[in-house]
Amino acid sequence: MHREKKLTMEDTWKTSDLEKHIREGVYDEDNMRRKDRRRRYEDGKKSRSGDGVDRRHRDQEREAPRERDRHTQGDGTRERTKPPRDPDRDRDQDRWREATRDRMAERDERDRERRREKERGGERDRVGDSSKARDRDQESRVRKHERAEKDSRERGREKRIAEQDREQGTERERKREEGRDEDQGRDRERTRERDRDRNREHDYERRRKKERHREREQAHSTKHLKETDRYNDGLQENTLESKKGNERREKHSEKEHSRQKEDKEYREQRRKEKEERERRHREGEEHHSRESRRQEEKPRDEERERRHRERREAEHRLPSDRESRDGRSHDKQRERRPREEGDRQNGPVEVSSEKHSHLDRARERREPKETKVEKEDVEIEKPSAEDHEDEEGTEYYEDDFEEYEEDFEEVDESHGEEDDEGDRSEKGNKEDELSPQNREEIEEIRRAMNAENERVGSAQQWPAVEEAEVSKKDSDIPQSKSTQHGKFMDFVAAKHREVSKKVASKQKKRSTELLRLIDLDFSISFSLLDLPPVNEYDMYIKSFGTTNTKQAYVQCNEDNTDRDAQTEEIEANDKWTQHPGDSGTVCGGPKLTNEASAESMAELNIDSKRLAEFIQSASQVVAVLLEEDRAEKHSLRKLKSQADSLSCSDGCLQLNTKLAFLHGREVSLISFSQVQRQTLLSVHSPPPTPGAVRLDSETILCIWNIWEPSSPQKVLVYESEVRCCCFSPGKATLVFAGTAVGSVVVWDLRERSNLHKTLKIGDHDWTLRYPTFSTDAVLSASGHLSSVRSVEPVPAVLAEGLTPEFSLLPSNEESSGLSFQLASLDESGVLNLWVVVELPKADQAGSQTDLGLKPGGKVKLLHSSTIITNERSSQRDAVKTGLLRTLLLKFFPSDSNHFFIGTDMGLVTHGTRHGLKIPPKFYRPQEAGLKPVHVTAVDISPFGQPVFLVGCADGSIRMHSVKSEQPVMEWAGSTGGEPVVSVQWALTRPTVFCILDAASNIHIWDLLEKDYEPATTEKIQSDRVTAMAVFGDPAKPNTFSGVSLARQSGKIEIQYFSKKWAVPTPAELDILQNILHEAF
Amino acid sequence: MEENTAENTYIIRPNYQHKFKVGVAKECIREVLKEELAGTQYNPQQIPTLCRSLADCIKDRLKEVGFDRYKLVVQVVIGEQRGEGVKMAARCFWDADTDNYAQDVFMNDSLFCVAAAFGCFYY
Repeated sequence: MHREKKLTMEDTWKTSDLEKHIREGVYDEDNMRRKDRRRRYEDGKKSRSGDGVDRRHRDQEREAPRERDRHTQGDGTRERTKPPRDPDRDRDQDRWREATRDRMAERDERDRERRREKERGGERDRVGDSSKARDRDQESRVRKHERAEKDSRERGREKRIAEQDREQGTERERKREEGRDEDQGRDRERTRERDRDRNREHDYERRRKKERHREREQAHSTKHLKETDRYNDGLQENTLESKKGNERREKHSEKEHSRQKEDKEYREQRRKEKEERERRHREGEEHHSRESRRQEEKPRDEERERRHRERREAEHRLPSDRESRDGRSHDKQRERRPREEGDRQNGPVEVSSEKHSHLDRARERREPKETKVEKEDVEIEKPSAEDHEDEEGTEYYEDDFEEYEEDFEEVDESHGEEDDEGDRSEKGNKEDELSPQNREEIEEIRRAMNAENERVGSAQQWPAVEEAEVSKKDSDIPQSKSTQHGKFMDFVAAKHREVSKKVASKQKKRSTELLRLIDLDFSISFSLLDLPPVNEYDMYIKSFGTTNTKQAYVQCNEDNTDRDAQTEEIEANDKWTQHPGDSGTVCGGPKLTNEASAESMAELNIDSKRLAEFIQSASQVVAVLLEEDRAEKHSLRKLKSQADSLSCSDGCLQLNTKLAFLHGREVSLISFSQVQRQTLLSVHSPPPTPGAVRLDSETILCIWNIWEPSSPQKVLVYESEVRCCCFSPGKATLVFAGTAVGSVVVWDLRERSNLHKTLKIGDHDWTLRYPTFSTDAVLSASGHLSSVRSVEPVPAVLAEGLTPEFSLLPSNEESSGLSFQLASLDESGVLNLWVVVELPKADQAGSQTDLGLKPGGKVKLLHSSTIITNERSSQRDAVKTGLLRTLLLKFFPSDSNHFFIGTDMGLVTHGTRHGLKIPPKFYRPQEAGLKPVHVTAVDISPFGQPVFLVGCADGSIRMHSVKSEQPVMEWAGSTGGEPVVSVQWALTRPTVFCILDAASNIHIWDLLEKDYEPATTEKIQSDRVTAMAVFGDPAKPNTFSGVSLARQSGKIEIQYFSKKWAVPTPAELDILQNILHEAF
Repeated sequence: MEENTAENTYIIRPNYQHKFKVGVAKECIREVLKEELAGTQYNPQQIPTLCRSLADCIKDRLKEVGFDRYKLVVQVVIGEQRGEGVKMAARCFWDADTDNYAQDVFMNDSLFCVAAAFGCFYY
């Protein structure tokens, strides 16, 4: 093989060949010319280089690029460079080889077909997968080739060469564009190789040779042409071919075997290769994987490499070209045998290499369209040339070559089938047809090539662009190993893409299946952040608020920092209330508001009435008590000192009658209240000579409290003379009076002072009270026509017979209120009974019906009945006595039905208010016959005994029992003939009575002591006693009993009885009763 | 070769224990933000890298939690606090039954950071 190669390479340089071409006048004269020139040029340099050219020559002949070819060429070049050969010889050899090749072509092709078909059977799968990659590889090779050419062009000194290069370059560029390799790493390797090539001495020459070859290609460009050339050239070769014919046939047959063997051997080699690669760190997993995919190819390649190496060695060993050429045939034969035995490593691999070269050539012939492949092959020769120079690094490069040559094989094989038959048919034509036909064919081929290029280019435009860039870079920049790594990455990417495609398709399928089950939606949008803009102030405060500022405050009214100072005080009130609010005030408090106080004032007003009443009454009581107290002490003291005190008395008291309005008046009557025993009523008759004082014509009545002697309690005024008067039977609230004009008047002492006239008399204001009610206005029919002699309240004791005890029953009276009867007796014997009525309400305007009622007065008298007392009595006795003048009226205290009237005939009439008259009708003196003697006094015993005393004007005193007409006792002349003025029983002692005669002698009788004469007689000389009244309280005999004396001068004396007269003896009442019984 | 592992399982719903739990994820995010951003000031030079590292950190944390068969997408946005209003929203085309998101916001005086983690279930 080496020899063959050398021959072939040198064949290309044979001037004879070239001349033949020129002579044959083949189509392109320019090319020819150029070729000539080049040949000339190169001839001069053949000694230096020739391997590249040689290779190219062979490549042109080869139809499918093969590693083997490359290696053989590389070896050949190496051999050529080292031992410079005769170009002639080479040419001869070449010619011969070509001739043989042509002849052998048929056989080869058949073999190849068979073999390829076998391979294809294994390879097809791979081809499907890696076709792209292979295409790229091929393209990359093409590119490299071009680049190398470009480099050469740059360096090229001859324009023509450059032009040719450019022509070829344009073609190549087209190809380059069509097919760009993604395997930049390989490019880089190649570029590196190219760089190295550049450095090589032979670079230039080689290129020129290549160019020459290319020219030849262009000239022949088809197998036909080449073949014709070869036929024309090589009669000599035929001889050689005839020799080799058998060999080749054998070779082909062997090849098939060898390939199978190679497959087996491949694994071992692959192991080695792997080790190498690992050592170099150039190849990644993908490389291996790729190799593994091409398991069948690689071993072949590697075998080829090995063979090349062996060949190289063999060539080195060969002393001369001739020998090598001659020996080659021997070698081949030799080699075939050991290869058949399966021992390739030991034996030289020339046979296989030869085979390959033949095959290549045959392919070249058969596949004229695959010019790119050819060109690539031409380029591939370069690395092989490198191998010659860098023998140590050959392995390194060879590995690379392996890789891309694998691709070549595949491509070739894929094309090989189509072309086999065509080639065969063409063979004949090639030999017969000459230039015109060739020309047409060439043009056709070119067109076809272009079309193909375009097709490929359109399919692979984008990688082409990339590669163009890369190639440019590569051309300028010396490549490093790092770029080689990039190569692997690209494989990774490619693989990734495939994988990802698969995955994607799977996922797509999956997604279509799943999408039915899944609901996808994007209806909801999530708010990830919502940051409102900060307003200016906040921003300011945030950024500047804390810097250079300070919080401060200012207060007007600076010194008053107390926070409470500027607020008003809260008003607060304490109040209380109570529930139920039955008393006057329901609420109150320490500080009442005006309203509340007003309310309370109203309440107080309401209260004030009652309070005034209360105070009025209370004050009276208090005053009385105080005055009593004082007067008592005073009187006691005074009594001792007083000279004019009675002998029977141990003290005397004078009422202050020295008042202006009482001046000059004589006291006509004195009366004590039977209930309020200290209350004294005195009647001051008008003075005989009316003075200047306005009241002088009127009678004045004074109400005294004997404990308050300083001044009268009340002052009553009446216009006419008052003949008789009495208190109300209960409390001393009413005063009744009978007047000389026949009227009965009532004073209500409870009336307020403002209802009456107030006069300022002396130092004091005196309220002068006029009567509340007067009978003056009452119709005369029911009134008194004569002067009223006596007024007596009818005792309210129920008429159930005589009660043994004399009792006024004040409680009953009070309980019965003011409703009681009043009896009034006038001189004519008419006894009127009046009912005392208290009006519920006073009328300030006065009453229209009750004309006698004073405006504002509340008490009035209603006429009840009238009793004519003296008529009855005079019915029988009228003849004798005539009409009796009634002078005195006394009601029996225990039985109010009975009354006793004193007459002027010394008789006392006994009458009843209703019912039958009860005997005795009259109470007569013991003496028979009637004497005109006025009965001046009648007094009923206060101790309940039915005994009364009668005093007569003749000075006789009788004591009558109620039941008998005749007196129990009669004392005539006890007074010395002086008329008896008044006779009164003592209130504390039942057996004692007092008699006042007209000579102002007071006789005190004590029946226990002596019943014939008075126990003592007091003679008052100086001031005549005009009236006398006995007072005393049976309950308190020791301290309170006495006699009040009214003097002519108007003085009123109160004489307290001494103990002797006041304190009763235990059996005193019984004694009285005994006396009464004794008398009967 | 790689696909063999996930061959035709056709699980449409995640297991409950592997479901994307918003609370857990949020807590993760919060922790990360707290750790990384505490006391940091806005610095336009450093923020982009910080952003990226935060996103990676959060993603790693979330992976540790074990949201099985979930594709996790973490987005981190950091902006300066200058008082402007900011409104961020997300809209997802997904299966609301299985997919969810968690987000947390970190704020201090100089910056705000919004981290959102979206978990999409691999069927």
